[in-house]
Amino acid sequence: MNKKRVTRLAEYFFTVWVIVTLNFLLPRAMPGDPFLYLSSDVGEEVIFSEEQRQYYLAYYGLDRPVGGQYLSYMSELLRGNLGHSLYYNEPVSHIILRRLAWTFFLVIAAVILSTFIGTVLGSISAWYREKWLDKFLFFNLIIMSEIPAFLLGLVLLFSFAAGLGLFPLSGAMTHFAGYENWWEKVLDILHHAFLPVIALTIARTGGMYLLSRNSVITVLEKDYLRTARAKGLSEKRVIFRHVLRNAMLPIVTRVFLSLGSLVGGAILVENVFAYPGLGHLMREAVMVRDYPLIQGIFLVVTICVLLANFIADFIYGKLDPRVNDYSETYGG
Amino acid sequence: MTADGKYLLEIKDLSVTYRAVHSPVKAVDGVSLQLRKGESLGIIGESGCGKSTLALGIMGLIKQGSIEGEIYYKDQKLTGLPEKKLKKYRWKDIALVFQNSLEVLNPVLNIKEQIGEPLKTHYNLSPPEIDQKVVKLLEMVGLNPKWRHYYPHQLSGGMRQRVLLAMALSCDPELLIVDEPTTSLDPLSKNEIVRLLQKLQKKLGFALVLISHDLGVIKKLTSRVMAMYCGQVIEAGITSEVLKNPMHCYTRGLLNSSPNLFKYKDLWGIDGEPSSGNSVKGCAFYPRCCQGEESCSQTRPLLKYVALERMVACHKGGIETFLRAEGIRKTYKLKNMEIEAVKDVSLEIRSGEVVALVGESGSGKSTLAHILAGVLPAEAGRVFYRNKKVEGRWATKMIGGMQIIFQDPFSATSHRMKVLDVVKEPLDIIKRGSKQEREEEAVKALQTVQLPVSPEFLDRYCHGLSGGQRQRLAIARALVTKPKLLIADEVTSMLDPSTQANLLRELKGLQNRHGFALLYITHDLHLARKVADKVYVMYKGEIVENGVSFEIFESPKHIYTKQLLKDVLSVSRDAPGS
Repeated sequence: MNKKRVTRLAEYFFTVWVIVTLNFLLPRAMPGDPFLYLSSDVGEEVIFSEEQRQYYLAYYGLDRPVGGQYLSYMSELLRGNLGHSLYYNEPVSHIILRRLAWTFFLVIAAVILSTFIGTVLGSISAWYREKWLDKFLFFNLIIMSEIPAFLLGLVLLFSFAAGLGLFPLSGAMTHFAGYENWWEKVLDILHHAFLPVIALTIARTGGMYLLSRNSVITVLEKDYLRTARAKGLSEKRVIFRHVLRNAMLPIVTRVFLSLGSLVGGAILVENVFAYPGLGHLMREAVMVRDYPLIQGIFLVVTICVLLANFIADFIYGKLDPRVNDYSETYGG
Repeated sequence: MTADGKYLLEIKDLSVTYRAVHSPVKAVDGVSLQLRKGESLGIIGESGCGKSTLALGIMGLIKQGSIEGEIYYKDQKLTGLPEKKLKKYRWKDIALVFQNSLEVLNPVLNIKEQIGEPLKTHYNLSPPEIDQKVVKLLEMVGLNPKWRHYYPHQLSGGMRQRVLLAMALSCDPELLIVDEPTTSLDPLSKNEIVRLLQKLQKKLGFALVLISHDLGVIKKLTSRVMAMYCGQVIEAGITSEVLKNPMHCYTRGLLNSSPNLFKYKDLWGIDGEPSSGNSVKGCAFYPRCCQGEESCSQTRPLLKYVALERMVACHKGGIETFLRAEGIRKTYKLKNMEIEAVKDVSLEIRSGEVVALVGESGSGKSTLAHILAGVLPAEAGRVFYRNKKVEGRWATKMIGGMQIIFQDPFSATSHRMKVLDVVKEPLDIIKRGSKQEREEEAVKALQTVQLPVSPEFLDRYCHGLSGGQRQRLAIARALVTKPKLLIADEVTSMLDPSTQANLLRELKGLQNRHGFALLYITHDLHLARKVADKVYVMYKGEIVENGVSFEIFESPKHIYTKQLLKDVLSVSRDAPGS
């Protein structure tokens, strides 16, 4: 058991190392370098002279051999230093931390909402399988899940924000607003986050719905459900203790695995709503080839994904007593 | 609560129809049964005959189907009761031990919760009380109480079976339905489960409905038994009687397919497959029945009493009796003494049975055979073939009648006749069909006994054949009229083992497919043990013992039989093949 945990942990560390290395190499494989766009304002591009470029390359250590850069990158990383943003002229970790909170806010809100709605609708659909309610839900949710999140975002933005003026067009909160109390601030944040969260939620609900419908239907056909009914248990107990307890296993896995991909999926939506999250930041960083910032963002996203996997692993082991035993028996 | 004589469970004309994609499937078709308090009833039948559906139907657990008919528990009608009220009966009054599989227990709940949850629902016990009761239940089924903290997948098949049993007994049900308790268990755990069920039923006194295709288990655990086919009850009676002497071809087929009742006998499954589940007009078993006739496919036979405590659903009243002999007596008068060759012998041969008549030389076996075939007149007693008295030759000179093969092939077949003529002679006598047809039939019969059919051989005179060939020729001649009953007097003694084996299998095949019956007179007990369904032991002109072959061979009663078996079967053990 213990040995298994150690190997598992080692696997995670190895993955992190591979990703960190790739993270280091990828931006350097891109054409161009950061100083092409260093002080370009919108509309006019100031191109550095060759001397200036050489100066900056030397200043930031980018003229050193790649191996050396790698070593110093790794050692800095271990000390928690993600480097210094060339564009924002600020430590990368500060920028990312500031932006990460917003992305997390969007993503977690969307995951909670879509999981809840998807599971409830999926269970209802499974329970009334082949009846009109099931067919209705199935048809509509399939259609909804096929619309890409950014397109949905655009539609929402045009109709509710630009058209009806019900929601702000961009940002996470009103600039320079003096809030009377914290409640007002919270409301303002919710007001701004509403459309992006809805866009993400709608895009994800279909998948959750399908998964939970499928999962509940599978469980409903199982022999142990017949056993539960034979025992004369109450409907409530059968549904919650026997059906959902089993049906939630794949749902939980999906939720945690989707957390990572959602951070990526949020990029487009954040850009549509000009929401100051990590996705928005990433776009900016790529535009100006801010190596340290790009690397930092990639690293953080990667760690988020791995962390989500790790939590999924852990929780699944807690929820399904079979997992640990079987992997032990079959050496998996 | 129950008035005396009232049934604990009464089912009246229950039918369960599953809604299927193409057409509805009738899994249970008009089943009625009664069960008193503390009684045990076995339900046997092939897979898919509706046994498990019946169990689920009693519990009201049929999901994708409709139920017709009535189920009464004590005085309460369960059919038509709303789900909510039905729940009160489930587990508390009627509990079910489901067929063992990994999926039958919830994989994510531990054993304690699964055994204990009905206690919470039905009796509202507190957690410590439940824990106590679970410990007690596990101890009762012989499982260490520590297992209650484990999960189903951590248990072996045998342990899971015990858990299922403990779970079913948690609310002290008055009726316990057990579905295939021993499938997928090794012999050791199987015996343990059977003993456990026996012990628990004695101790707790619940009524038991046991569903199994393992006849050994049924034999040990139940007092009455019902055989089901295509959702219908096809035979019902007292377990020991039914298993000893099945009256329906299907039940007999089940017995012949069961290796655990008599281990030496050959296994023979029932030919064909059950119909797809749609109600047929006639007898459901007709397509596979060895004694079916056209008329059987017209109407459905009703379950009727054919004997005391025995019901059979068959147009012919169960397995037909082909030959019945009563009080046969024959004395040979020699110069100055009388030899009582056959003394008051009675015997019966039913359709599809191989009856072995065993005994030492000079015990009167051949004389009896001759009398049965009508070749030799009896001094006293009567012989009936298919309920008609055998007089003259009518029974032997018809197609599908009775034939005898004599012991000595040299005097049985004329050495002055040609092979083909010998074989087709019976057909010539009754003037059946054209000459060509008769010759074709004859060739077929010769092929059956593995004789050559080249024109050169067919044209040969019998005196040119060997003893074994003459013997086979005699058999072919008997088979050419497609007899229903064959009396074979030591016919295989002259054959080599391979031909003997082939011939016997051929005859066994005829027996199972067409209900062909064989009176097999032999002193070869090994062979008799292999092929016989019934055995008659003859000693000095008397039948000293008769019965089902496994009883005779496993536990002979008569001193002569004991001696005979001991001599023959134990000698051969020391020197195999002797």
